[in-house]
Amino acid sequence: MKLRFRPTLILAAIITASTAADMAAQGPGAYVLRDARVVIVSGPVIEHGTVVVRDGLIEAVGSSVAIPADAWVIDCKGLTVYPGLIDALSTWGLSGAAAAPPAQGRGRGAAGPPTGPPSRGPEDRPSNTSYLKAADEISPTAPAIEMARNAGFTTAVVFPNQNIFSGQGSVIDLAGERAGQMVVADSVGQCVILKTNGFRSFPGSLMGTIAYIRQIYLDAEHYTVAKSVYEKHPQGLQRPQYDRTLEGVIMSPRVLLPAERQVEVLRMLALARELKLNAVLYGGHEAWKAVNELKASNTPVLVSLRWPQRMADNDPALQDPLRVLEFRDKAPSSPGILARAGVKFAFYSDNAGAPRELLRNAKKAIDAGLPPDDAIRAMTLSPAEIFGVADRLGSIDKGKIANLVVADGDLFQDRVKIKYVFVDGAKFEPLPEAPPPGRAGRGAIPSAAEEQN
Amino acid sequence: MRYLVLLVCAIIRVTVASGQTYLIRGANIHTMAGPDIQNGSVLIRDGRIAGVGHNLAAPKDAKLIDARGLQVYPGMIDAGTEIGLVEVNAVRETEDTDELGRYNPQLVALTAVNPSSEHIPVTRVNGITTVATMPEGQLISGQVSLIHLDGWTTRDMGIKARAALHIRMPFIQTEGRRVFVPDNESGGGAEPGAGFANAKRDFDKQMSDLNDFFESARRYKLARDTKAPDFKPDLRLEAMVPVIEGAEPVLVTAIREREIRDAIAFADKQRVKIILCEAPEAWKVAKEIKAHDIPVILGPVLALPLDEDDPYDRAFTTAADLDKAGIRFAFATLTGSASLSSRNLPYQAAQAVAFGLPHDDALKALTRNAAEIWGIGNQAGTIEEGKFADIIVTDGDPLETRTRIHDLFINGKLVDLNNRQKDLYDKYINRP
Repeated sequence: MKLRFRPTLILAAIITASTAADMAAQGPGAYVLRDARVVIVSGPVIEHGTVVVRDGLIEAVGSSVAIPADAWVIDCKGLTVYPGLIDALSTWGLSGAAAAPPAQGRGRGAAGPPTGPPSRGPEDRPSNTSYLKAADEISPTAPAIEMARNAGFTTAVVFPNQNIFSGQGSVIDLAGERAGQMVVADSVGQCVILKTNGFRSFPGSLMGTIAYIRQIYLDAEHYTVAKSVYEKHPQGLQRPQYDRTLEGVIMSPRVLLPAERQVEVLRMLALARELKLNAVLYGGHEAWKAVNELKASNTPVLVSLRWPQRMADNDPALQDPLRVLEFRDKAPSSPGILARAGVKFAFYSDNAGAPRELLRNAKKAIDAGLPPDDAIRAMTLSPAEIFGVADRLGSIDKGKIANLVVADGDLFQDRVKIKYVFVDGAKFEPLPEAPPPGRAGRGAIPSAAEEQN
Repeated sequence: MRYLVLLVCAIIRVTVASGQTYLIRGANIHTMAGPDIQNGSVLIRDGRIAGVGHNLAAPKDAKLIDARGLQVYPGMIDAGTEIGLVEVNAVRETEDTDELGRYNPQLVALTAVNPSSEHIPVTRVNGITTVATMPEGQLISGQVSLIHLDGWTTRDMGIKARAALHIRMPFIQTEGRRVFVPDNESGGGAEPGAGFANAKRDFDKQMSDLNDFFESARRYKLARDTKAPDFKPDLRLEAMVPVIEGAEPVLVTAIREREIRDAIAFADKQRVKIILCEAPEAWKVAKEIKAHDIPVILGPVLALPLDEDDPYDRAFTTAADLDKAGIRFAFATLTGSASLSSRNLPYQAAQAVAFGLPHDDALKALTRNAAEIWGIGNQAGTIEEGKFADIIVTDGDPLETRTRIHDLFINGKLVDLNNRQKDLYDKYINRP
């Protein structure tokens, strides 16, 4: 059923690419990447391998693959092919207001001025847009999409992030003329942010927020039961009141909970256990201190690639306390410790800067003990697994979506050049001379992200 | 009758406070001016100490105070408080420490002191006879006044209305982690988190404004002295004249090392005498403070460390550090809740003693040093003939909490030791 739409999709990709300003994308039916080092991620590296891409999918991969006659053959001698990189928690492509930086545990947690009348309790459903879907908020022309693609990212798991129940995340591929073409999976989880609602509105404290989350899940459970009872015997029963904020929660297959520090990790694990949530934690810079609890509960972690650091414009006379220095120093070693313990984790951008900075930030985790293979996995197959799309994304395997990155060496090398990016089988070539980051227009990260740095 | 008393007070000020002559006999006298006098006597007449020594003859009119086995000390001085200006911190109507605006040298603390403050009897019962009470504004707060903790009127109480000009040193504020953060007014400091460059720019502007203000005071004085035709009297600038002439010191509140260094540089540049105030990081700048011979009025000893990684006893040991460096210093309870616990001054000093300050130096800091730093060394701080009869008679070391004050003289007047806390104690101890 789905396959029937593929030609349209590819056609769209061609149109997009040909109108793009500084990208050159051509899309015949088939490509062959020949004689490349293929990092398939789901198995051992193929040193001299060939990847065949057709109609947006991977048709074949291996060391002795027959080359179809109609395909455009690209000689990849000396090049390395990776699965397209995935940003596991992103705002790329979200239009305007929906793309503000997440308000999680960084001292900016308090909400802005609440709109509307102050809420009195959970019954007013404050700060709840669980029904929002990122897929519906995607702007295909958002500049972040092209920048991310040029840096080797082909996919992002985009989440709204404005409210305690922010809404549902969607897996999107980072190319397309219309948002609908880009969506791989429209609802992969609910993003929860622990924020308060100001002084005059419920919830105004952390304990209030957590009590509110518990109440919502209790209400959702009751709502589900009431609805099913009513559907079977509508006559003679009072109808349950429709509640979109509960619908959104029920619809979400998993929930993302913020947990940066150890205490937050343990608090969120307790909450997830109590509510029997299918939880994914995000933040993770001090997750290494709670690695046993994470392993025991089999909870995956999204690790932010925005490593904690001293603000650039800080008073030189102010010395940071040891506690803060240790947190900063140990954060990049968190992924390595998670990997050794067998805790599933993925990296996410967290407004860490221009997309091309993300690989450099991931390199810091490698320098702090994370095996490079695990680093690649944390940006490809692991996020696909965490969000339940590993049957389509995350590795170079037959039948998966043809999202690929072709680089002139190891992705984590300092001077690596990205030669080609394939998104849904459409080829993009980042211009050889990428504009320096920070220049007006292209290369500039959104100002909100800059401020967060 | 009362009118008459007030009238007489107004005319002959402090001397009238005590018509009575007292002779304290048989006490161990800690004069703070030399060796202790065992089994000595102190003669008090007309509010002053009329004699100290062995076997003083008792004048006919003298009331004898048998102090055998007791100790006699000079009354202690809290070198910086808000006593008389604040009654209840949380009640705006009873708080009179600051004025709007950043340049208020013309304000005089004494004018606002409430002689009926409940804090006064509570404070003096522990042996504190004199305090410096200070306005607390954003930049130039006003004139610090020295007061006796007894009197019907501010005239009775006042020792020196303009003891120093209080300045809160401008500082570069990039974060909220401050012990003292003055209320923000527009232009009064960058918003916390504004970044160092912004905060520095803001600071530079404040410093240049402050220097300009001192400069305009100089021009004012010149115009006044030369009787310039367009001269116009101005209370604010008039109040600055004794400061720029060097007759009156500037009390500079400075917390961090950088602020203390800035304060020293400012004093050099403006050629004014300064006294450092609060200065919890003075130990970092001890060498420079000593080299400039700047006295320090040290803030509360019973305080938390400024920084997370400081040792727990950081504030306890600063007094000992200053003492070792040979810096003249006195203790002060300063602002906020500590100020309203000015009565705990001796125990603040005692904490410093427990953490390395020699006992005698602590007593000196509480009495003689405080008087000298505040420029009343010839009138107070020791038990010597001719000085104010500010004297305590105790049954032990005043730094010990178990010590009781038997008699308390302020200006030669035997002061009632009753106070609100004791009243409440008596009331509730008898509750069935």
